[in-house]
Amino acid sequence: MAKSQSTQTHGSSKKVRPAGWQIFMVAFFLFYMLVPIISTYAFSVATRWDRTILPEGYTLEFYQRAFSASYFTITLRNSLILSLSTVLVSMLVIIPTVYWVHTRLVGAKPLLDVLMILPFGIPMVVLALALVQVYNFPPMARSPFLLIGAVVIYSMPFMYRPISNAIQAVDANVLTEAGQSLGANIFQVLYRIIIPNILPGILSGSLLVFSTVFAEYTLTSLIVGARFKTFPLLLVEFTRINGNVASAFSVISFTIAWLVSILILWVGSMGHTSKAKTI
Amino acid sequence: MSVKQRKTGHNSDWLGFVPFLLFCLAFEIIPIIFLLRGSFIEKTTHLFTLQHYVDLQRPIFVNSFVNSIKLSGLTAIIGVVLGTFIGYAIYRWPSERVREILITLSDVTTNFAGVPLAFAFVVILGMNGVITQFLLRYFQYHLYPKFSIYSFSGLILAYVYFQLPLMVLLILPAFAGIKKEWQESAQSLGADTFRFWWRIGIPVLMPSLIAGLTLLFANAFGAYATAYTLVESKLSLVTLQIGYMIAGEVRQDQGVGMAMAIVSLIIMGLSIGIYQAATLRARRWSKS
Repeated sequence: MAKSQSTQTHGSSKKVRPAGWQIFMVAFFLFYMLVPIISTYAFSVATRWDRTILPEGYTLEFYQRAFSASYFTITLRNSLILSLSTVLVSMLVIIPTVYWVHTRLVGAKPLLDVLMILPFGIPMVVLALALVQVYNFPPMARSPFLLIGAVVIYSMPFMYRPISNAIQAVDANVLTEAGQSLGANIFQVLYRIIIPNILPGILSGSLLVFSTVFAEYTLTSLIVGARFKTFPLLLVEFTRINGNVASAFSVISFTIAWLVSILILWVGSMGHTSKAKTI
Repeated sequence: MSVKQRKTGHNSDWLGFVPFLLFCLAFEIIPIIFLLRGSFIEKTTHLFTLQHYVDLQRPIFVNSFVNSIKLSGLTAIIGVVLGTFIGYAIYRWPSERVREILITLSDVTTNFAGVPLAFAFVVILGMNGVITQFLLRYFQYHLYPKFSIYSFSGLILAYVYFQLPLMVLLILPAFAGIKKEWQESAQSLGADTFRFWWRIGIPVLMPSLIAGLTLLFANAFGAYATAYTLVESKLSLVTLQIGYMIAGEVRQDQGVGMAMAIVSLIIMGLSIGIYQAATLRARRWSKS
């Protein structure tokens, strides 16, 4: 099985020090990756920071203003609704399909793989344009339902990979036959046997989808816009109004992403699912 | 390999695939087909036309394609070159713990695209940004107006931020394909480091490098949120143009927008197609 994330060692038993060029490359990498994030965190609590190398003082005022912004709770709620319903729909669509293809319809695996890679080849703005033009009639037109459909498509590969890996690892065929020989029907097998066995894969996938959708801006702003304002939309609004408050919003957004990543790692260490990201 | 080959011919078995297929058809495939159709239809007469594609030759559209391709190409090349070196530095790092931390960092940061990332770059490199002020105060160096985070060069910096860790994650497994013994035997045959990499290392990595280049290109070409937050209307990019058309902020004919969408779909589709093919080749090396 080709695991996409190999952390294989290469004989690390001997005590060697990293070479100069290695230290340089890694230091550069750390600098590039961390400075923007750390600065945003610092900026969100700095009173004034345009004359000195370190902020002149610290304050929580911007968080207070962020939390009391008129749309704060509504956008946070909308983001949660969007992310959670996407996770739910995504699970409903993908888990049974992956199970079915692995046990009963192996011939459809290449088709499934192609359908799962497809979203990567479609720019999100193009998907938004296509959906907005086709669904231009009342219940769907520019509605949160249309948005959920779009976001499920776009985040599908993130759900598919971990689940597919997990189902491959547990040998679903044997489990299915064992269950059926004990008189369980296909739904009971799926619900009582398969799902509990691939739970770590489902959790990793769900968390990846959750964090991707929580930060989603493009589809949300183009399909529903102000009618269903989510957290990233509020953030963009504030980047043009007040930088300090915007940085407080950014910090909230970064922190959620960190937390979810930690959860994914933790879930990943529970099972032996490789948390292969992206494709 | 453990999956037993079962009778796959049963037509009734395909029924289980139908719900998923319907979902993809409804929210992805049929809308895209309608888009394709729309790009060839004249709005008032409903007749077939190539006019929308001819209209794409107008300077504003040509310009946005040129900008998008330049931006994606440049950040893909920077990402592949730097990412490969960083990846190799990580791969050869003696401490397993450090390696794991760096891989986790790449995992997290490659998802930090979009609005918060764009804003983080304004915080450090905006007109009053942290680094801007630092350079001014301690080196009397005026970053502005030569550089601006709200311009093409600013976008490059912001895009490379999410390109770098993606390349690191992509290239790491490929290094496992270069066996230690090969390096040793090459050395014993008198090849120096440069010749080893030129003759063996780079050819083995080639499929992964091509996969990286195409994936990073597509990654940047399709990006919208970062560009929207940073440059808005100061720079014309394909995704921004299409976005304006959806929002109805420009009175351009919808047909041109659809033609533009189809052309960018082809560009992205080709990149992802090459990426897929290259990844399959790369797996041959990292296996066994």
